[in-house]
Amino acid sequence: MQDAVLAFLAKEPAHGYHLHTRLRRALGPLGESLNRGQIYVTLARLERAGLVVAERAAGLPERPERKVYALTPAGRERVAAWLNEVGWPKPDLAEFHLKLTAAAATRLADPVALVAAQRREVMRRLREVQQAALAEPAESGAGPLLEGIVLRLQADLRWLDACERAWSGAGDAAGGG
Amino acid sequence: MGSLLLAVRLALANVRRHPAQAAMLLLSVTVATATMALGLSLHGVSDALYAHTRAATAGPDVVVLSGESGPEVSAALASLTDRPDVVAHHGPYRIVYAELTARGAVASPVVVHGFAERPGPVNRPLVTDGRWVRPGGTVLERGFADALGVGVGDRVTIAGRSYPVVGIAVTAATSIYPWGAQIGPYGGPSDYTGLAWMTAADARALARSRDLPVTTAIDLRLRDPAAADTFRHTVPDDHPVRVFRPTFRSWQFTAQHDKVILRNAQPILVIGGWMLGFLAVTGVATLAAGRVAEQTRRAGLLKAVGAGPGLIAAALLTEYLAAALAGDALGLALARLALPVVAAPTASRIGDAEPTAGAVVAATVLAVAVAVLAALGPTLHAMRTATVTALAASARRPRHRPLLNALTAPLPTPLLLGLRLAARRPGRAVLQACTTATTVVAITVLLTVHAQRERGYGLDGSVALPNLRGLHDRRLMLAITVLLVALAIVNILTFTWTTAMEARATMAIARALGATPGQVTTALSAAQLLPGLPGAVLGVPLGFLVYLLFATGNSVPPRPSWMAGAALGTLLATAALTALPARLAARRSVARELAAEAA
Amino acid sequence: MPGAVIRARGLVKHFGRGQSLVRAVDEIDLEVAEGETLAVMGPSGCGKSTLLHLLGGLERPTAGEVWVAGRRIDTLSERALAGVRRRSVGFVFQSFHLVEELSAAENVELPALLAGCSPREARRRAMLLLERVGLAGRARHLPSRLSGGQRQRVAIARALVNEPLVVLADEPTGNLDTAATLEVLRIFAELRAAGQTLVIVTHDERVAATADRLVSMRDGMFVDDTRLAAARPRGLGGLLWPED
Repeated sequence: MQDAVLAFLAKEPAHGYHLHTRLRRALGPLGESLNRGQIYVTLARLERAGLVVAERAAGLPERPERKVYALTPAGRERVAAWLNEVGWPKPDLAEFHLKLTAAAATRLADPVALVAAQRREVMRRLREVQQAALAEPAESGAGPLLEGIVLRLQADLRWLDACERAWSGAGDAAGGG
Repeated sequence: MGSLLLAVRLALANVRRHPAQAAMLLLSVTVATATMALGLSLHGVSDALYAHTRAATAGPDVVVLSGESGPEVSAALASLTDRPDVVAHHGPYRIVYAELTARGAVASPVVVHGFAERPGPVNRPLVTDGRWVRPGGTVLERGFADALGVGVGDRVTIAGRSYPVVGIAVTAATSIYPWGAQIGPYGGPSDYTGLAWMTAADARALARSRDLPVTTAIDLRLRDPAAADTFRHTVPDDHPVRVFRPTFRSWQFTAQHDKVILRNAQPILVIGGWMLGFLAVTGVATLAAGRVAEQTRRAGLLKAVGAGPGLIAAALLTEYLAAALAGDALGLALARLALPVVAAPTASRIGDAEPTAGAVVAATVLAVAVAVLAALGPTLHAMRTATVTALAASARRPRHRPLLNALTAPLPTPLLLGLRLAARRPGRAVLQACTTATTVVAITVLLTVHAQRERGYGLDGSVALPNLRGLHDRRLMLAITVLLVALAIVNILTFTWTTAMEARATMAIARALGATPGQVTTALSAAQLLPGLPGAVLGVPLGFLVYLLFATGNSVPPRPSWMAGAALGTLLATAALTALPARLAARRSVARELAAEAA
Repeated sequence: MPGAVIRARGLVKHFGRGQSLVRAVDEIDLEVAEGETLAVMGPSGCGKSTLLHLLGGLERPTAGEVWVAGRRIDTLSERALAGVRRRSVGFVFQSFHLVEELSAAENVELPALLAGCSPREARRRAMLLLERVGLAGRARHLPSRLSGGQRQRVAIARALVNEPLVVLADEPTGNLDTAATLEVLRIFAELRAAGQTLVIVTHDERVAATADRLVSMRDGMFVDDTRLAAARPRGLGGLLWPED
């Protein structure tokens, strides 16, 4: 979050509320939960870290929303470093996998039922995103983001199918033996 | 050698995969080449039969006839034997003009030749049944006897007297039946007349009994038979025979005259052969076009493994050529079997009938032309298509035709679909129109021929003895028309089935959208029937024109109602024929058709 | 059940026989309520397309009953069945299945004309529907000149032209890219809002996720039947900022 706010200041100095608007627009329907308070808190942290400087607009009372924020040279370096970073968030599949293994081993729950429940949950999320995507105008900048989320969820569904095949096969083998 | 083997192997595989197509090509080529070979052989066969009869009967080189009789006439004719170029002769002999009645009912004019019981060196009629003339018995010329239905042992009445028929014979001295008279009494015109022989004494007695007209003739053999045509010019104007206004009949003239009976048969067969060949091309071309995608894929495959254009063309054409040549051989064999009947409608000549060399060549050219014309389009298309495109060959897309779309838009839906389907294959629509036109032409000619009134060969033009030439023409015409209609039926079934297969997707969609099987059938039938319409309309005048090509001056056009009936009947038959495959196609499962289309 | 537009009882469809017998649909019971959007999901070959064909009268069942709008259709003649397809059902296919010889507008008009509509009325409806799917400007184009998404929108317009009780869609987005898929789903969403009953067979979760009810099929049988909860508005933030 900090890095994204910093990067959005790289083009030109901006007011806090202006920054909030631009971030929301880029995020589309996902930006609706982003409140202005979060932006100001983040900007304050960045200012303390010496990555941005706040200039008060001339002739106006000192209020946070009237401040114009700009990058410091250190902030600029941080943006450049962030842009070139190749890190990638790791989806945590291990936990669910261990959950299924444990359920099968302990016989406390049916792994196939767990998979089905999980699939319903993922479908519910997919439905939300899909409906948000349908509501988005075609030219919206958030399109690729929504599509990314959809593709991720589809990948999850496919993985759940694989889990189901694996665990129902295991169940058959156990039942047969 | 290896590539030839490959081409043959591919062709055999294709024939195994498409036996119906090979059979259709074989059948239509057989029919077309047989007809063509018959038509072109007629004159040659007529000449050959005459030559054979002439050799077997010591045929004269020149027959000199005078319209009068008496000792002076005989003496004048006999004096011709003094001419230096005459090497042998028979006669002079008496020719008596009478009426003959057979089986108590059939009456015909007849000429009776008075011959010696032992024939001379020239004009020795060949007895094919019974024995030669003896006192009180008559011998009938074979063509005449055939027409009368009289054989050895029957009795015939000539000028009121009853004679037993003791023999049947042929001669090369006169034209075939019914032109046995050659000249009329006093040199006037003669009617359709048969020929009979009696002893010279019996002939004289016959003539005297009723005071019948008599003419005189002499048969001559020349030193140079080839000069028979010009013999008359070598007889000087002051020669005694000139007084009696002689008619000179050379053997060449008689041989030509034999062909009069075939005057219409030849164009009927040759034009019929072309029309059959044309129908063969359209039918086979349609089938070949239906396989264009497959052929293109195969050509692409061959190219991909490095075959040159020559091998590809050979591989694609061999199948068609082989079937066509097999059909050609079969057609020629059939022609040989049919020739004696077709080339000799009378029994007046003897000898074997073989297709002439020219006819064999022409029929083979026709067969090859059918194969090449039918297969050329698909083959060229296959060879021109790039390898990669060819391997992924698929159905072709319709072109945008704004005018057609605007014109057809207000039509009822099945007709609209039908027309658009027809427009997708304009070439086939033209072929369809031509098939219909050809059929209507044939039927129109047949009707026109039947509308003509003709003189029978009996007494005073009685049809108790039918006009053999007209009968022959009508039978040939009927045979050709039946063959044409049969090929047209096969073609229409092929057109409809091919269209139905190509329009599968469209029709399945229409049915998924709620078109009834009836509507789908109507659309498919309409796609065939609409191009047929101009064909039928054009066919009637074209047919009459074709008839006029070989009609005599006083032709009677058939009733307009018959013509309209022929056109309408053809269209109705087309509609009925198209409904069958269309109906079959409309019964296939929609879901499966759609799935096949999507695959 | 009152309000059921489509009802199937003990529906069975077999293909082939003996060793090669395929039980494409095996004893299925189904009711589709009026205004409902039902998605049928399953791997390819599970029989979902066959089920759709049976419901729309494109195939006849081996056993069982199909009722459309309270009328049993599996016993009807081919002719009467064509009438059902014309008036009560609108089909949308994966490979569009437009008539290549007909323009976009003519394709849309086709079912109306088959149903005996006057050409003027058919044209009016076709233009309205093409406008609704955003293709009014392409009415005179042949299908070969349209993109995949445009063709499918024409096909949807065509399915709607006789105001069917139910639209049956077989993998409607199977041949489309993401943008075209969204266009089609937007049209479906509008139809749903207008109360149109929809049955969509798909293996695409994105399409299934937009339905009210999701049925999963395996080997000719239903293995799951879920009513999808209404989407919570503003629920998406949780997907984005889980740690905050």
